[in-house]
Amino acid sequence: MQIADRRRLRSKIFMGLSITAAGLGLSILAIILGTLIYEGASGLNLAVFTDMTPPPGGQGGLLNAIVGSLIMTAMGIVVGTPIAILAGTYLAEYGRYRRIAHVVRFINDILLSAPSIVIGLFVYEIMVATMGHFSGLAGGVALAILVIPVVVRTTEDMLRLVPDTLREAAASVGTPRWKMIISIAYRAARTGIVTGVLLAVARISGETAPLLFTALNNQFWSADLNAPMASLPVVIFQFALSPYVDWQQLAWTGALLITMSVLTLSIFARILTAKKAHQ
Amino acid sequence: MSLSQTLTATGETRPRVSARPIGDRVMHALTFGSAILVLLVLGGVFVSLIHGSLPAIRAFGLGFITSQSWNPVTEIFGAAAPIYGTLLTSAIALFIAVPVGLGISVFLTELSPAWLARPIAIAIELLAGIPSIIYGIWGLFVLAPFLQQTFQPWIIDKASYVPGLAQLFAGPPYGIGVFTAAIILSIMILPFISSVTRDVFETVPPMLKEAAYGLGSTKWEVVKNVVIPHTRAGVIGAIMLALGRALGETMAVTFVIGNAHKIATSLLAPGTTISATIANEFTEATGDLYTSSLIALGLILFVVTFIVLAAARLMLHRMEQRGK
Amino acid sequence: MNAEAMTNVRAAGLKEKISIRNLSFYYDQSKALKDISLPLYEKTVTAFIGPSGCGKSTLLRILNRIYELYPKQRAEGEVLMDGQNILTSKEPADSLRSKIGMVFQKPTPFPMSIYENIAFGVRLYEKLSKSEMDERVESALRRAALWEEVKDKLHTSGQGLSGGQQQRLCIARSVAVKPEVILLDEPCSALDPISTAKIEELIDELKTDYTIAIVTHNMQQAARCTSFAAFMYLGELIEFDTTEKLFTSPSHPKTQEYITGRFG
Repeated sequence: MQIADRRRLRSKIFMGLSITAAGLGLSILAIILGTLIYEGASGLNLAVFTDMTPPPGGQGGLLNAIVGSLIMTAMGIVVGTPIAILAGTYLAEYGRYRRIAHVVRFINDILLSAPSIVIGLFVYEIMVATMGHFSGLAGGVALAILVIPVVVRTTEDMLRLVPDTLREAAASVGTPRWKMIISIAYRAARTGIVTGVLLAVARISGETAPLLFTALNNQFWSADLNAPMASLPVVIFQFALSPYVDWQQLAWTGALLITMSVLTLSIFARILTAKKAHQ
Repeated sequence: MSLSQTLTATGETRPRVSARPIGDRVMHALTFGSAILVLLVLGGVFVSLIHGSLPAIRAFGLGFITSQSWNPVTEIFGAAAPIYGTLLTSAIALFIAVPVGLGISVFLTELSPAWLARPIAIAIELLAGIPSIIYGIWGLFVLAPFLQQTFQPWIIDKASYVPGLAQLFAGPPYGIGVFTAAIILSIMILPFISSVTRDVFETVPPMLKEAAYGLGSTKWEVVKNVVIPHTRAGVIGAIMLALGRALGETMAVTFVIGNAHKIATSLLAPGTTISATIANEFTEATGDLYTSSLIALGLILFVVTFIVLAAARLMLHRMEQRGK
Repeated sequence: MNAEAMTNVRAAGLKEKISIRNLSFYYDQSKALKDISLPLYEKTVTAFIGPSGCGKSTLLRILNRIYELYPKQRAEGEVLMDGQNILTSKEPADSLRSKIGMVFQKPTPFPMSIYENIAFGVRLYEKLSKSEMDERVESALRRAALWEEVKDKLHTSGQGLSGGQQQRLCIARSVAVKPEVILLDEPCSALDPISTAKIEELIDELKTDYTIAIVTHNMQQAARCTSFAAFMYLGELIEFDTTEKLFTSPSHPKTQEYITGRFG
């Protein structure tokens, strides 16, 4: 009996620790979100969306940073998504049984978690250094490189969920493979691929490190892709580390904006997948 | 039927390409080209980083890795301090996040009722998607002052009586520093660890667990003797994945580490990491050698994370194979 | 087939639509079919029966070269359709498959509307006007005895139909591209008895225009709606004869054992 009691006690202790861990993890994360909303919301007003980033000590908003982020995110998606979907298609369709597909998949998985700052250095080397100046274009390319592994992965996964019998059925009415992929496989995997793109948007919209020395920053309004471009994350970085209270407040507000959009995107992506699974 | 006909009837020798419609050739080429582009990106990163590091490598050689000096004025650069900082913060972060992350996944898979497990799992996955800059700003404005006023004075006082620990936790309490950076990192990688380990825990066949319960095992014994051994490769893979993230994490660390190029014995002292150094100094770097040294830091980071992530993927892959 | 049956076949004026000659098939190294030879007569229904894994589905999958979608599978020997060896012909597999339709065990509606499911295959090889296409879709659906059930919801998803309806949709889809041969791979195995009965009726209808091969596990089904039957075992063709003969007085003891339910 004594042994059994001790065993049960030990189990209780460890399970208690596990519950504590869950509680601890969740409460820390709740505190972070709580602070963010508390600090960020107090600076949330119309000027944030209508005014440019202010000089030190001045009043202003985040308009140029928001627009810059939108432009570069859009560019990252527009450039990265088609390449990624095609590459994912190769892995799931034409290349499925080829050795090269294993290699690409492996490398892609590594790129998926590779430090984004290194991607920033890469784009700096190939674009900023050769063009001689920082630019929104370089920022967009850096983000596109971050989009690719995310979308390659989801595209492949989703195409693999399309049953082979559907491919055979398409073939058996005489559909060529490319037509089958476009009309049947993509259609069947559409929701999943869209989800992947949404997650990629969520990922790049908060990325800071790869923009620091590609798009740099710009205190003024600029939609010129050939010039340095402001972005929310970089402005947050600059403003938060400054000694000015106004800037710090804007940093909090910007952080809240980013977090809310990222969370909205992820939740939306989840709802899409859940609906799909429900069908 | 002639012999040649028999031969050409096999899939191997029939000239298939000529029979393939043009659409298929185009689509095949497009998708294949894109797949190759993924490889080229990785190759390009390596080549461009090596190219960019050449001046620094020529100037300092292997001494770059061991030298602690970082002096933009005299243009003498060494990577020892950021490498040390990167490894130290990641190690402490893992030390904290692994037990907590595993605890969370044990809770989710073994203890929690289903109605609670799902929302918690979703919350954790959502939190894994929050950008690191958010953790950074929170660390700077909330965690660092908090630690400065509470935990740090306390540990400095208590540790001062214990030889060994006294050096490790020597004052003054700056708030920002290696220790704070490690805490922020551990919070950041926590969701990664728990969501991946939860996935691998779920691959344990229920029958296996039921068999162990059937022998009268307690929950802890089932976790320790069935779940963990069965998923060891996956758990190690998850930890390596988190390590890969921690090593390369930039913004969360840059905010709170203090950016000091020295190796201090005290964990509470300011320090730096590879990524924080690059993020802080790259745009302000004047002179080719300075820039090149920063790119060389990036190269070191990329090589190290590549190895760690490759190992992680291999582990997780082995786990998947076994799951089949 | 014995001589007497042979004479009957000739007397009936049946023409060989497909002639399978010395056909062997390999999955990588392992030989799944061993030297199979048999005919599929035009506008008749031929059943392939035998225990699981005997190679009957494999045989079907060679006839429209669907096996080519996968690596390391190869066929040796001849499959003649109207005298042309389809295994070696220069004709792309796609256009061959448009002449040899296939329906699978589980219904496989495409992720599109009922109308589109049928129009999809037609558009691949024919350019029809809107009204011609409407007509084609309607006639295919009528052919598959599905028209009355779906005529008011042609533009809803094909995946919203019941299992039996989906399977008839798949048959309609095959019929719409005007094939010459239809291959049915256990088309009723996932269906309830009522849907099964409908499909069987349909097969009986279709044989007036098409050459049909059907793989089935269901002996009654084979007896009910086929004229010829092939019994396969472990990758070999044990016996091929008229269905009546094969079921009433099989010449091979293995066939006898199988149809009386002693194994398989």
